[in-house]
Amino acid sequence: MNFFHFIARHRAEVLTLTAEHLWLVSISMLLAVGIGVPLGIVLTRKPGWKAIILGTNNVIQTIPSLALFGLLLPLPWLGVRADRLTITALTLYALLPIVRNTFTGISGIEAPVREAALGMGLDSRQILWHVELPLAMPVILAGVRVATVITIGVATIAAAIGAGGLGEFIFRGLAMVDNNVILAGAIPAALMALIADGILGLLQSLLQRPRH
Amino acid sequence: MTAQPEIAIEFDHVSYRLAEGRELLSDLSLAIYRGEIFMLLGRSGSGKTTTLKLINRLLEPSSGEVRVEAKSTMAWDPIRLRRRVGYAIQEVGLFPHYSVAKNVGLIPMLEGWPRERTDGRVGEVLNLVGLSPETFLKRYPHQLSGGQRQRVGLARALAADPPILLMDEPFGALDPLSRVELQTEFQQLQQRLGKTVVFVTHDVGEALLLGSRIALMENGRMLSVQTPKEFLNSQDPKTKAYVDAFSASHRVLEDGR
Amino acid sequence: MNRRTFLSGAVALALTSCMPKRKGVAIGTKNFTEQLLLGEILAQTIEHTVPVSVERRFYLAGSYICHQAILAGRVDMYVEYTGTALTAILKQPPISNRSEVFSIVKNQYQQRFGLEVLPSLGFDNSFAMVMRGEDAERLKLRTLSDLSSVAPRMRMGVGYEFSERPDGYPGLVKTYSLQFAEPPRIMDLGLLYRALQSKQVDIVAGSNTDGLIAALGLIVLEDDKHYFPPYEAVPIVRPQALQADPRIRAGLERLTGKISAEDMRHLNYAVDGQKQDPVQVVEQYLREHKILPS
Repeated sequence: MNFFHFIARHRAEVLTLTAEHLWLVSISMLLAVGIGVPLGIVLTRKPGWKAIILGTNNVIQTIPSLALFGLLLPLPWLGVRADRLTITALTLYALLPIVRNTFTGISGIEAPVREAALGMGLDSRQILWHVELPLAMPVILAGVRVATVITIGVATIAAAIGAGGLGEFIFRGLAMVDNNVILAGAIPAALMALIADGILGLLQSLLQRPRH
Repeated sequence: MTAQPEIAIEFDHVSYRLAEGRELLSDLSLAIYRGEIFMLLGRSGSGKTTTLKLINRLLEPSSGEVRVEAKSTMAWDPIRLRRRVGYAIQEVGLFPHYSVAKNVGLIPMLEGWPRERTDGRVGEVLNLVGLSPETFLKRYPHQLSGGQRQRVGLARALAADPPILLMDEPFGALDPLSRVELQTEFQQLQQRLGKTVVFVTHDVGEALLLGSRIALMENGRMLSVQTPKEFLNSQDPKTKAYVDAFSASHRVLEDGR
Repeated sequence: MNRRTFLSGAVALALTSCMPKRKGVAIGTKNFTEQLLLGEILAQTIEHTVPVSVERRFYLAGSYICHQAILAGRVDMYVEYTGTALTAILKQPPISNRSEVFSIVKNQYQQRFGLEVLPSLGFDNSFAMVMRGEDAERLKLRTLSDLSSVAPRMRMGVGYEFSERPDGYPGLVKTYSLQFAEPPRIMDLGLLYRALQSKQVDIVAGSNTDGLIAALGLIVLEDDKHYFPPYEAVPIVRPQALQADPRIRAGLERLTGKISAEDMRHLNYAVDGQKQDPVQVVEQYLREHKILPS
């Protein structure tokens, strides 16, 4: 059967699974940004922690995603519900690019700007709000962009542990040996990643006013 | 009867040492009076920038006390201190993501000034530094020339009308024409405003032109404090060396005529 | 980046997180043939009893995934086996008493998960000791107890898991005092029936509802001492789905006890062995059993 026919006939299901996928990704990204950006800011204040925090993040990223799901399974409370587990794992994966880019973005602010801000009498909260975050935003956003695309991809694996989402089509299609079903999961997931990447890229270029 | 000039800033046996032990400033004692332009003159590494930064507590003394308006810098709340002391540096450090208006109006805004008062002050202070508000309010730092940036930096330092102004080689990076332009305008500005200015420079000519008193610094010590006239006529060998260097660079003018 | 852009972005992101309410009934299955058939049976029964749309979320990879799906409300029902529910999901030790297992599962599922467990569909998919039909007739063997006298003359074939599990081979020989001449031959599950047919082995450890049992004229010896834990096929259902329309429960109750192990074997064989379309196989079955109008 023609693939587009297939999608048309099963559009309710495609929409349902796409909504589930979007939900998993959105919650995880909100958490990752909510935790990652402050963590990156803390790292700029306490550079001694860099080794531990970035090191831990690195280790987490090195663990293959399916293995990470498996490792979290036996944990109490977390392992009981697949969506809790999935959102935890996705958030952990998204953290590294965001923490690292927040740190790099803020560290990369030119010294004279920082010195002027200090000499003007801005306190650390004001420096964060008026200088550090706005100037680091393009770099942070680049990290968010990378993290989002990764999260959309890893979320397809989440179906393997019962979290739903577009991965369910992919695994079903593999079991049924039916390409249409596989593509019904793979193509919307890929499209989602492309669209998210495009939107964030647009946001990045809007913020990237010429500065020099 | 002449009134005793009021002391704005005082250094009382101040030393500054780095963590690894190197001493950038040794036993500095001096008094800076209200309304004067006090020049800190010396080569790189002489301690002049360190001295400046001790005034607005960007650095804290290892020993001795720095007093601003009769209060030790360590007793001041650093934020309040820095709001009373304008700071203009060579690279200017304008916030690239803010317009000229926002850069200049930032401290008044943070001080809680109502919108109209801030806007009025921004226009006023831009005029003071020779920039027409209609043209420059909405521009961004990357759209300004070096000289214009320096003017905006000065306007920003003056925005909240601080009684003291610290300037660290503000005109050093400009081309000679812009430099003279700004020096002249600054002189006129100071005559109108009467602020206490502490000015760091390595340019003898600038020190002689602008300063009411010149402190000569070398290797973390202050060698002398003199008026420009005393400086030019001084017999002290170190001072003479500076004057000779200055004359040498200007001899070409005399010979050429 | 000003405050407004940031806030509107956050709101947009939060909106995408709102899950639309699902309409109709969603049925889940695991990813092997028997489950697909059972899911199709539930689906067609409901479709013909209630005017509601039925979503088929089949091929979920296992018990854990089905359980997660029903907890999260992504499916409304699926067929589980009581033994699996007891040990894999409730994490209790295995028990042999059929009604005890059922009541523990029913009560615990209600208490812990708020899910309803309906009575058995009529068959048990536990381990089964399978012999060639003519041998069983000749030796007059009907139960596993009957086996003890002839065991020394027989060879057994088992899958790897059966040989290792304490409630597999070791417990079997102990319970029924079986003394086979040699240790069992361990082989791939898919080869067990072929080995039985070609007389390489005389008795194999299969599953009660394997399609080939019907097709090859094999018989299952009765577990008279109830050694194997029960694996009764029971529908697990979300109460919200039952509350949506009382006809759903009525439809499901029509299936209680209707599907015998023999029926299941035939159905399995039709799809696995004869490669028929599951949807048509189920439709025909339901018509024959008067659940669907003929």
